[in-house]
Amino acid sequence: MPIIVEKLTYTYQSGSINAHTALKDIELTINDGEFLGLIGHTGSGKSTLIQQLNGLMQPTSGRVTVDGFDMSDKKQRKQGRSLVGMVFQYPDYQLFDETVYKDISFGPRNMGLDEETIDQRVREAMRLVGLDEAEFAEKSPFELSGGEKRRAALAGIIAMYPKYLVLDEPMAGLDPAGRRAVLDMISDFRKKLGCAVVMVSHSMDDIAHAADRVVILRDGEIYANATPAEVFCRAEELNEMGLDAPFAARMAAELRRRGVKIGSDIYTNEALIEAIGALGRRGKDA
Amino acid sequence: MLSIKNVSFTYDDAPRPALQDVSFDVADGEFLCIVGHNGSGKSTLARMLNALLLPSSGSIFVDTMDTADDTHLLEIRRHVGMVFQNPDNQLVTTVVREDVAFGPENLGIPTEEMIPLVDGAIAAVGMEEYASSAPHMLSGGQKQRIAIAGMLAMKPRVLVLDEATAMLDPIGRRDILDIVRRLNREEGITVVMITQYMEEAVGADRVIVMNGGRIDMQGTPAEVFRQGEHLRSIGLDVPAAVELREQLLAKGIADCGDAMTIEEIADRLCPLLLKN
Repeated sequence: MPIIVEKLTYTYQSGSINAHTALKDIELTINDGEFLGLIGHTGSGKSTLIQQLNGLMQPTSGRVTVDGFDMSDKKQRKQGRSLVGMVFQYPDYQLFDETVYKDISFGPRNMGLDEETIDQRVREAMRLVGLDEAEFAEKSPFELSGGEKRRAALAGIIAMYPKYLVLDEPMAGLDPAGRRAVLDMISDFRKKLGCAVVMVSHSMDDIAHAADRVVILRDGEIYANATPAEVFCRAEELNEMGLDAPFAARMAAELRRRGVKIGSDIYTNEALIEAIGALGRRGKDA
Repeated sequence: MLSIKNVSFTYDDAPRPALQDVSFDVADGEFLCIVGHNGSGKSTLARMLNALLLPSSGSIFVDTMDTADDTHLLEIRRHVGMVFQNPDNQLVTTVVREDVAFGPENLGIPTEEMIPLVDGAIAAVGMEEYASSAPHMLSGGQKQRIAIAGMLAMKPRVLVLDEATAMLDPIGRRDILDIVRRLNREEGITVVMITQYMEEAVGADRVIVMNGGRIDMQGTPAEVFRQGEHLRSIGLDVPAAVELREQLLAKGIADCGDAMTIEEIADRLCPLLLKN
């Protein structure tokens, strides 16, 4: 059963002179097990939308259901929310307990699991995010580096085995190796538990690499909802919206601008190199 | 301008030093980029440049002023402005103009001199139309521009940006980089930019690579990014254009020399690809 967003409109300070409509008539389905990339300029409504997915905010009109649970209904929201794990952009706001171990065990304990299962889940989550148990379990979350905090926050969520994992800029502030590691970790976890992932990111290359489907939000509305190939070949449109295309698409666009006959459907390095190789061979033969 | 001499630093209770015997100079007007993995000592180093932290051993000079000499503290803070990663943690008032005036006011600059300083600083980051807005209503990139303006209002000679673009979207990042480059070129402000984005290091005069609290290597961007394999082995990366160049070379398709940007790669590839 999926997450279904129907005719969702959300207005901040509804009814006041400061009323601001952040989301307009959003129709969106998040299917079991899929990897959905959510992109959009700052202020496009991405953060507001993901907070609707686990009921942190409720629609002004329209409806969000998680596996059939209506997130506007207080009782059903609790059940729906237990299926949706959220990791926010600033891990500092998500960590609070005395030790990393206690922090990660907070969620599973709240679910009413027995101590043995909790312990097993915490160890597994630490392993999955690459936090060595001996080194980190008894550390205070506040002694961790930025990258370690992010891993700890992620571990706390995945220890609850969410069916839907919602991530807001999970790689922001990390070094290149950290970014790669977190992205791999998300893929591993998805494979292991079969959960769906909704990832908000400004890194189009990461989205192009990982997502099955891409949704672009623009001024609170869905501007595109398609495969990475369909979305990322529109480099010029993305640019107008203040978004980047993946590197390979930008490189191909620059070559086209200079008269090179290279396909406008290129958005991965592999395809780009293949196309350049083919054109180069023809150039040599000529 | 800045002189870092044999600096080591260990945080209280830390098993390992955060910095070990780090030495380098920053020339007046230079654009220096410092890169390194999370925990490599970059931010510790940044905080030492305006005496937010003091070395456990070794010393740091801003011109001839030793950062350990607290009679110079105010002067050092005025000369070396810092912008941090989280835009929400460095704005303190409810109106943009007041926020920018916060620094000069603390320095005791009289009001009539302060007004042109503040207005000039806001204009330098292109935020004139937001001068009377509330900082919390701004985007992350706009907040960082205000944070930079707050430093500029003190007429600093050095601007230190500690991953100031890390939490921004691509446009916010580009804006900050453009502003900082212009301040460096046109106003002659010395820039020390600490970043995780290798692309941002491409335009620098010099790149210092930190690893495990030590300087791992340094050189021009062209020199540093020739060492792709080594950079990856210490948790870093090369700009996307450099990675493409490496792959084109490895596959025997094209030699793009030291190209580091899309334009430079296109310059190298076009003669080959436009033959037919």
